[in-house]
Amino acid sequence: MITRRTLLGTAMAATATGLYAPRVRAAEPDTLRFANSAGGPRKLDPNQITQGADSWAAAQVFEYLAQPADGDFGKTPDEFEPWLAESWTTSDDARTWVFTLRQGVQFHGGYGEMTSEDVARSFIRARDEGVDSSNYENIVSAEPSGKYEVTVTLKNPDPLFLGSTVFTRRTMIISKKAEQELGEAFATQAVGTGPYELERFDSEQGIFLSRFEDYWGEPANIAKVECLYIADTTARTLALISGEVDMAEGVRQPGWIQQMQQQKPDLQFDMTVPGSFNTLFFNLSKDPLQNKMVRQAIAHGIDKQMIVDALQPMSRMVYTLNPPNYPTGFSEEDLPEELRYEYNPEKAKALLKEAGFGGGLTIPVNTSKREDYSTQHLIIQEMLRAIDVNIELTIMDHSAYHGSNRQNANTLNINSWSLPPVPLFVYNVYASSAANMNAEGTGGGNYSHYGVEMDGVDPLLQEMLQATSFEGYIEKGREVELKIQEDLPMFGLPTLSFVVARNPRIDLGYEVTGGNAYWRFCRASITTA
Amino acid sequence: MAKYVLYRLGDAIPTLFLVLTLVFIAMRILPGDPALAALGPMADPVQLALFRERMGLNEPLPLQYIYFLWDAIRLDFGRSFISDVPVADLIARNLPHTIYLTIVSVLMGLCLGIPFGVFAATRRNRPPDNALRIYSLIGYSIPDFYLAAILLIVFSLQLGWFPINGAGTGFWDGLHHILLPAMTLAMLKSAFMGRLTRTSVLEVLGRDYVRTARAKGAREGRVIYRHGLRNAMLPLSTGIGISILATLSGSVAVELVFNRPGIGRLLIDAISERDYPVIQAGVMMFAFFVILVNLVMDVVYVFVDPRIRMKS
Repeated sequence: MITRRTLLGTAMAATATGLYAPRVRAAEPDTLRFANSAGGPRKLDPNQITQGADSWAAAQVFEYLAQPADGDFGKTPDEFEPWLAESWTTSDDARTWVFTLRQGVQFHGGYGEMTSEDVARSFIRARDEGVDSSNYENIVSAEPSGKYEVTVTLKNPDPLFLGSTVFTRRTMIISKKAEQELGEAFATQAVGTGPYELERFDSEQGIFLSRFEDYWGEPANIAKVECLYIADTTARTLALISGEVDMAEGVRQPGWIQQMQQQKPDLQFDMTVPGSFNTLFFNLSKDPLQNKMVRQAIAHGIDKQMIVDALQPMSRMVYTLNPPNYPTGFSEEDLPEELRYEYNPEKAKALLKEAGFGGGLTIPVNTSKREDYSTQHLIIQEMLRAIDVNIELTIMDHSAYHGSNRQNANTLNINSWSLPPVPLFVYNVYASSAANMNAEGTGGGNYSHYGVEMDGVDPLLQEMLQATSFEGYIEKGREVELKIQEDLPMFGLPTLSFVVARNPRIDLGYEVTGGNAYWRFCRASITTA
Repeated sequence: MAKYVLYRLGDAIPTLFLVLTLVFIAMRILPGDPALAALGPMADPVQLALFRERMGLNEPLPLQYIYFLWDAIRLDFGRSFISDVPVADLIARNLPHTIYLTIVSVLMGLCLGIPFGVFAATRRNRPPDNALRIYSLIGYSIPDFYLAAILLIVFSLQLGWFPINGAGTGFWDGLHHILLPAMTLAMLKSAFMGRLTRTSVLEVLGRDYVRTARAKGAREGRVIYRHGLRNAMLPLSTGIGISILATLSGSVAVELVFNRPGIGRLLIDAISERDYPVIQAGVMMFAFFVILVNLVMDVVYVFVDPRIRMKS
């Protein structure tokens, strides 16, 4: 059985024996080649994308009504800039949002000028037909109120509508006419307004884009972008080192960046902070995790700083569910001392003894063989051994792991997800009783059964849902955050950045500090041939 | 002969049926939810339910099995759960790459292995024979993916002679892209074929008719190639058949390491994504090729050794 580690090991062995002196190939002069870690593209329609890797091409082809500056999320409403919308207004109750559109924006492929019909259709299809349609249930209507004006009416107030809905992949603006004309083919030939247009969708090799000459804004610097798919880590790494690709998705395992730097010292590494939330869910339906003292003991038995150190420079410390740089996240100083769960093995043992497990306990845990999951679970296994908690780890393939989580077959599962700074969204998918996971596999991502096996945060979430100001929304969100920290149905582990290794000949044109796990190339330039 | 081929083809039907049944059962036993794999681990429960409904995953298993068999009989493997592309299209796009790789690597393996085997057989216990023994030992022991990584590092990365990824476009570019993956498989095949050729030729060279040919004053080249190698062709053709099948299965690892399109890579991706229709069609293709290659080899035997036809 081939594993990435085996193959990478081969490369390392060759390095050690001096075989390795990479010959850098001459790169295409006006083409940026990006290598994803996936087998092949599936969809380009932003409303149908289910594979993160496909978002890279979508981010070049489609645009939002409003977006934050390149390189990060917008964490507050005032961090969003007009994009396809020139301006917007919101009602006092934050239920009605009116967007005035930029005029003269052309769709690719001669599909004409973008109007309010296209924008309204983009929002409605996200609500009715998308793969995350329930995230858009708050939209009552999205209707043209003029050729260049769209009015979106919401069920509940949403002072963070720009972050929760407008700046999301599903509501990227598509051509209504192209959607109607292309039918099913729209999935792979979707038409947007972005600085790059689709040249070729090759399901075996990748998505090939070229500069859109009628782009409304500053034209892209580089003429062509090739989003290639190289699932195998060794092949992707070698392609980057040899210069066959300019940028490649990184591997989130200890030492990867350092190994790469040894082989090619001038490589640049762009990474998002926080990147993926890593959340440890205590399954409250499994013995003895119902016992809060056992959960607290486990929390005190995990040295989060050690995880951060092991995964440097990709990992960042978190103290609650949301990371400290998100609006409802807490820094260590902001937290009451009893909710910090500092690493303290002696305290952990005392808590276990008090809970009736003085002789230790054994917990069977499933984990994924994917590096980011297995690394963290293995580190935790080792740490908990010191407090006499024996984790019996079963490592399985990624699909089987998520299948077991969704069928209530796991106990201490880790979920890794790149979540936006939209607190209500995070709580809705992880902590609300409506997202309760059930053994039939039809539930959501609340793997703890929080709000079902014990009282949860549903009442607070209802209050949060009715907040009409951003400040009120965040204030309520921080109450939710503290309540989760106190009840401890889940435990925030250090975050793990999404990493891309970049050949220094490519200048992105901005610094990546956070944001989605894909970014735009239109400002990128080639600094050396 | 036609009757024999038809008979053998008919014989293949229960084998294919068994393979399909085993694949169906294996995929359903394997943990992992195709809906989650297709829509992502954090997908909306409503969309997951809709997906399962649309793909018939909520039907009772016996019913799913009947639908599956009925579709297989009609060679309709449906659409990929993941990409929504008809499976027939995916197979059609990937299969030529695997066949091309198999043909090139088997040809390279034969061109290298057979002469090497003959050369060693005619110099028994001398340095060429010892060299073949060592080469064969390495060829038998080294895993294909390991050799692929080493060749990739040396010839692509260090020397820059070959591309690292993909299958290329056009004939010459395609040939340039296939040489290194084919060489990986060919080196392993040539070790096997070389050893087999050596043993077979040695056995034949000890026969009476070879001694007679030599006594009649035939040139050594004629003795070896006309009397020796030709009579060793029967075991060699078995070896070639085995070699083709091993190359087909070996292509899985090579396609992954060289990031080439092909049925092997398609299958590996499909298994990790629980893409049942693609797995079922891919495994059926492999099973079909095993049966086809065996059938072709049976027919080849008849031509290589007419006594087989007489006996039958």
